[in-house]
Amino acid sequence: MTVSRRTVLLGGVASAALLPSVIKAQAQTPTEVVIGVIYPLSGASAQIGVDAQRAFETAADIINKNYDFALPLAKGEGLSGLGGAKVRLVFADHQADPQKGRAEAERLITQEKVCAIVGTYQSAVAVTVSQICERYQIPFLSADNSSPSLHRRGLKFYFRAAPHDEMFSTAMFDFFDAQKKKGQKIETLALFHEDTIFGTDSANAQIKLAADRGYKIVSDIKYRANSPSLTAEVQQLKAANADVLMPSSYTTDAILLVKTMAELGYKPKNIMAQDAGFSEKATYDAVGDKVEGVISRGSFSLDLAAKRPMVGTVNDLFKAKSGKDFNDYSSRQFMGLIVMADAINRAKSTDGEKIRQALVATDMKGEDTIMPWKRVKFDEMGQNNDADPVLLQYTGGKFVTISPPQAAVAEAIWPMTK
Amino acid sequence: MTTQTIVQSLASGLLMGLLYGLIAVGLALIFGLMDVTNFAHGEFLMLAMYVTFFLFAFFAIDPLLAMPLVAAALFAFGAVIYLLVVRFAMRAKTNVGMVQIFATFGLAILLRGLAQFFFTPDYRSIPTSWLGGKTVSVFGVFLPVPQLVGALVAVAAFGALYFFIKKTDFGRALEATREDAGAVALVGIDKNRVFALGWGLGSALVGLAGAIMASFFYIYPDVGASFALIAYVTVALGGFGSVFGAFAGGIIVGLVEASTALILPPSLKSVGIYAVYLLVVFIRPRGLFGSI
Repeated sequence: MTVSRRTVLLGGVASAALLPSVIKAQAQTPTEVVIGVIYPLSGASAQIGVDAQRAFETAADIINKNYDFALPLAKGEGLSGLGGAKVRLVFADHQADPQKGRAEAERLITQEKVCAIVGTYQSAVAVTVSQICERYQIPFLSADNSSPSLHRRGLKFYFRAAPHDEMFSTAMFDFFDAQKKKGQKIETLALFHEDTIFGTDSANAQIKLAADRGYKIVSDIKYRANSPSLTAEVQQLKAANADVLMPSSYTTDAILLVKTMAELGYKPKNIMAQDAGFSEKATYDAVGDKVEGVISRGSFSLDLAAKRPMVGTVNDLFKAKSGKDFNDYSSRQFMGLIVMADAINRAKSTDGEKIRQALVATDMKGEDTIMPWKRVKFDEMGQNNDADPVLLQYTGGKFVTISPPQAAVAEAIWPMTK
Repeated sequence: MTTQTIVQSLASGLLMGLLYGLIAVGLALIFGLMDVTNFAHGEFLMLAMYVTFFLFAFFAIDPLLAMPLVAAALFAFGAVIYLLVVRFAMRAKTNVGMVQIFATFGLAILLRGLAQFFFTPDYRSIPTSWLGGKTVSVFGVFLPVPQLVGALVAVAAFGALYFFIKKTDFGRALEATREDAGAVALVGIDKNRVFALGWGLGSALVGLAGAIMASFFYIYPDVGASFALIAYVTVALGGFGSVFGAFAGGIIVGLVEASTALILPPSLKSVGIYAVYLLVVFIRPRGLFGSI
């Protein structure tokens, strides 16, 4: 029989017609579990989204195939609680726009029939996505959003395994206090933050901590994200010349900030960054030579691989897909899917409420993760308070863990420029 | 606020403003020629930056040397876009303005998508170049060399463009076509040829701007967006279709942006630009130097 275009088309129509009944038959014992993943896959932060896609694919791969290491769901194929059902990811693009995020979340739930959603990089988008999830009673897990206000909105279906910016900022001020005890002079701080929820929440946390612990904020600059120029902003930072500059910036602004500082002849005494752009490889490829010694908070450290070989193995799998090492974001994204899939596995169901109950009951040991966390256990607001942040210092072209003491592999270089 | 802060702000604003003018002038030129607003103007800038980046990455050609090459590449690109897209969009029988807007807008989205697909969304930058990272300091006022050279190139480009339009045959043909495309056909000037060259010229100018910017700005598929918005307001402020208006408009936008940041929180610095624009609309709706 010759296969003409028409027969192929007919075959397609025939199988499409069969499809609804196939789905119905699967309803009792699903052979796949569909999870929605919402990220900026185009637009100004597309790079984050595309890297995130690789991290989630790595996690799904580990869940769906048989691997031999201590991570939950690595052993055996698929989710054993659901008869070996495979995890299938559906990616949606929110372009960093909260309204697009809202629409895409609704589409994922009503049309793609996802049983859970993980997202979203920008905290501003997590706000709308989690509201939609709440309305449809579908669990939402913030893989990498760090705004503290997210879990304080009384949402029942909101969860976050990673630290938020108050925890991160507390780690920074603990570090300042420790340096002061060692006789370093740290009195004045300058804040530099972008104008969406990430930057403002981060600054609010830092302002509060500074007041509590007796540090003076000499400059608090809120700037418009993706500005064509940061000259005016940098001048004010330069005039203030604080002991520590504390930026909360996404990648584009981080690159421009460092370039503009160099152009205007401003060399900050110290930089303590709220992650984001300052944990991205792109920033250091562009301006790494100008920020030797910068410290960024993080929730991940490749140094952990020395103590926990599994971290290195998982990193290799990710690197094979993406060509990059895990960073603070991709590691949290990876872990986010594992935590969510683990709950679905224990729920033995794709029902939203059952998954929610399983998430509430989550108690994952730190050693079973790739993170330096004590464990994963959610409080009544869906926040994991045992996710210990780390501080990383960029020296000699790579990040080394300098704090907290139990995770540190090197002494901090302080002040960052001798 | 010290005098030095104010002088520094104004100096930075002026340098940035000249660059804004250079980015915007291609837009003004094309609009003046044929009443078409190119909504893909920011993407032309993005392509120019990528061309500069790839010339540097693959052939180690410094952005400064690459400038004429990038301008030439963009010239060809602009002319081709006219011949393949805009020419057809202008054939619409009704709503020709809308068709042009959507055609160039669609082109913008397409170019952005293609850039993301082929160049990946990674942020690129040119780490070392002859100009990059260098700064001269005059009485404590810092002038970054890339922006300084950019400003000089902008002034030179405007001068050359002025001469070109006023003194050469092609410039006169450009002006004549703009005034009455039907009449020029009667004297044997090929309208399509003039329009294609106009698009080429406008794109070549944004190519110059892109080559300079690549030495101090990050490059990624969406980089054109924030500059395009400024280019539109620059053209509207300076006067639609006026080349000199784009020059003046760019300087005004740069200075207003810098001085707004002195008074208001920096996150509101673009508010000043639009406030001034609305004021201009109020007094002179066609823009400061608009002739149309």
